[in-house]
Amino acid sequence: MQTRKATSFSYLEQWRRWAPLAVLIALCILIGLFNPNFLSTGNFIRLLNSAAIPVVLCMGATFIILMGSIDLSVEGIVALTAVIVSLLVANDITTYKLGLFAVPVAMAIGGIMGLVNGVVHVKLKTPSFMTTLGIGFAGLGIATAILGGLTVRIADPTFRYLSLGRILGIPMAVWIALAAFLVALTIQQRTRIGAWIYAIGTDEVTARFAGIPVEKTRILVFALAGLFYGLGGVLAAAQFGQGHALIAQGRLFTTITAVVVGGTALSGGVGSVVNSIIGVFIVVVLANGMVLMGIEPYVQQGVQGLLIIAAVALALDRSRLSVVK
Amino acid sequence: MQSKTAARTHTQLNRRSMLKGLAGLSGAGLLGGTFPMPAIAQETTWTLANSMRSLANPYHATFAKGGEEFAKSIGAKYEMLVTEGNSEKGVSDIKALLQRTGGKLIVNVDPNDSPDARVIVEEVKKAGGFVVTQWNKPDDLHPWDFDPNYVAHMSFDGVPNAEAIANALFGAFGGEGGIVALGGILSNVPAIERKLGLDNAIAKTNGKVKLLDFQPADWNEQKAFDIMQAWITRFGDQIKGVFAANDGMGMGALEALRQNSLAGTVPVVGIDGIDAALTAVEAGEFAGTVAWDPMWTGAMGLAIPYAHVTGKIDITKEPKEHREFYGTGVIVTKDTVAAYKANPPKTDFNDLWGKATGQVQYRS
Repeated sequence: MQTRKATSFSYLEQWRRWAPLAVLIALCILIGLFNPNFLSTGNFIRLLNSAAIPVVLCMGATFIILMGSIDLSVEGIVALTAVIVSLLVANDITTYKLGLFAVPVAMAIGGIMGLVNGVVHVKLKTPSFMTTLGIGFAGLGIATAILGGLTVRIADPTFRYLSLGRILGIPMAVWIALAAFLVALTIQQRTRIGAWIYAIGTDEVTARFAGIPVEKTRILVFALAGLFYGLGGVLAAAQFGQGHALIAQGRLFTTITAVVVGGTALSGGVGSVVNSIIGVFIVVVLANGMVLMGIEPYVQQGVQGLLIIAAVALALDRSRLSVVK
Repeated sequence: MQSKTAARTHTQLNRRSMLKGLAGLSGAGLLGGTFPMPAIAQETTWTLANSMRSLANPYHATFAKGGEEFAKSIGAKYEMLVTEGNSEKGVSDIKALLQRTGGKLIVNVDPNDSPDARVIVEEVKKAGGFVVTQWNKPDDLHPWDFDPNYVAHMSFDGVPNAEAIANALFGAFGGEGGIVALGGILSNVPAIERKLGLDNAIAKTNGKVKLLDFQPADWNEQKAFDIMQAWITRFGDQIKGVFAANDGMGMGALEALRQNSLAGTVPVVGIDGIDAALTAVEAGEFAGTVAWDPMWTGAMGLAIPYAHVTGKIDITKEPKEHREFYGTGVIVTKDTVAAYKANPPKTDFNDLWGKATGQVQYRS
């Protein structure tokens, strides 16, 4: 998609593509040297487990960021769907017992919230930043109103199996995240929507001239992201065995950080869902590793901040930038 | 290509239908009761209000309910003010309500941040209303300096309660071994107090209990989950118990233990007494929790000033331990949880200081 300025740059560009992976591997080696337990199978499974929900959320957010938009409704949609799914399976507040059928319902609600994001953003021409912020708040507000500040406890072992169950020693949540990744990868590589997302993110005007249905694609991608957040909400509820309005606290920051650290540019058009997987692991490995190395809590925050800047600086293709804002 | 006018009608129609959709959404909020609702009967001319961070956590939801129950009992108009973690909003909502009620306002406020308390107290005094603060206020701001309008300040003492629950944890694993501890946001007064209580308890074991690691998880369940996972890798079976400065983080740690088949084997303690924690105590997964009584703080923060305005007491003549006081925390363990659940604390609106346990102390 991008034009090479000069051959001498192409070597650098090749390296840049692999920068996030190099950062991840360097981190793993460094932490492994400090604490060999880091490289144990047990810890590897724990890392996968911590990464499962962020991966699912990132699959949705990556497509939005690839279009050059942003989605701040992650926490609102995750909280709402987690609360709804908790109320639909066997629980201590309602009498519904939908079991696993509650999962598609919750995902559909996530999809509808995403659809609203897309429709408002495209039809009212409001910036995605404000639209998704507003819809996110609406989601949190509805979740709070439904439960009135209470917590709903899940009493359905089958539903909790989505997080606690294991196949080949690996938690179910990890398998579900893997499936979400494969779906996202297929959409990105094998569908027209995937190609259109890149076209819109690279240059929307050209994409329009090329006959790409920009509005429709945007709406569809926001709805798709909502589906992923809905799945994230389901996994969060299964993980904690409960639903409440604050269940998604802190998810937005992790999601956006992981996408960006993975090398997907906030300006759009550059990156992929594979990058986001690497980004999630950088964030998760770093958090795990700093506790393993016994780094002081307040130094941890500083290291995280520095790493984000370093990863973005390494991955950024400056030859394409005419303006930095 | 569509003509300009046609395109415009198209957008307007869509915008109108979108606004309808949005109205529907906010309507759903209204039905759920997020907005202040006036009480039915109205016998007193005073308006009562509770102000808190949000209704999305069990503590504040119950705090709001306590105020509502008291207002209902005297037939007063009641409002809930929510700051959403925004100090500006907290202060300006109270100012607006003072204006609307012409100063005939009794407000029970959990200030978003300590400095807000001073601004709120000054505004209330100027308007001739009455105020009680909860948890947060500057150390040098005292009710008796703003007689009679600044009626009282209420809090819970984190130090002895955290120490007691830490001891319950030590008892659960036999009093000897390593523990890990999750703290709140370290600049918060309750987080500092609870850490101090834990340190005191550890010091008194003469080295039998060792703190393997302390990490702030910022009151966040998810963060606690991830930190607990890393601890399992780092310390393995050296971990004999988990101390969490609130139940939410304790639940996060418990789920991480469950993922590693350690739930029930490694005891956890928390603080707050939320329902999920009480259930975990019953199941033998939590060794205990400290139950505050937000129903009581929510009601008494209104009942005490109301007793003053109706002439039942003269607040200016009350001793200092009735102006700045701690409430009672109840230590709930496996032995006491059944009794606690069967007989939850009751709030007697006429027993103004019955559950007060001493004057607020300043440790810094």
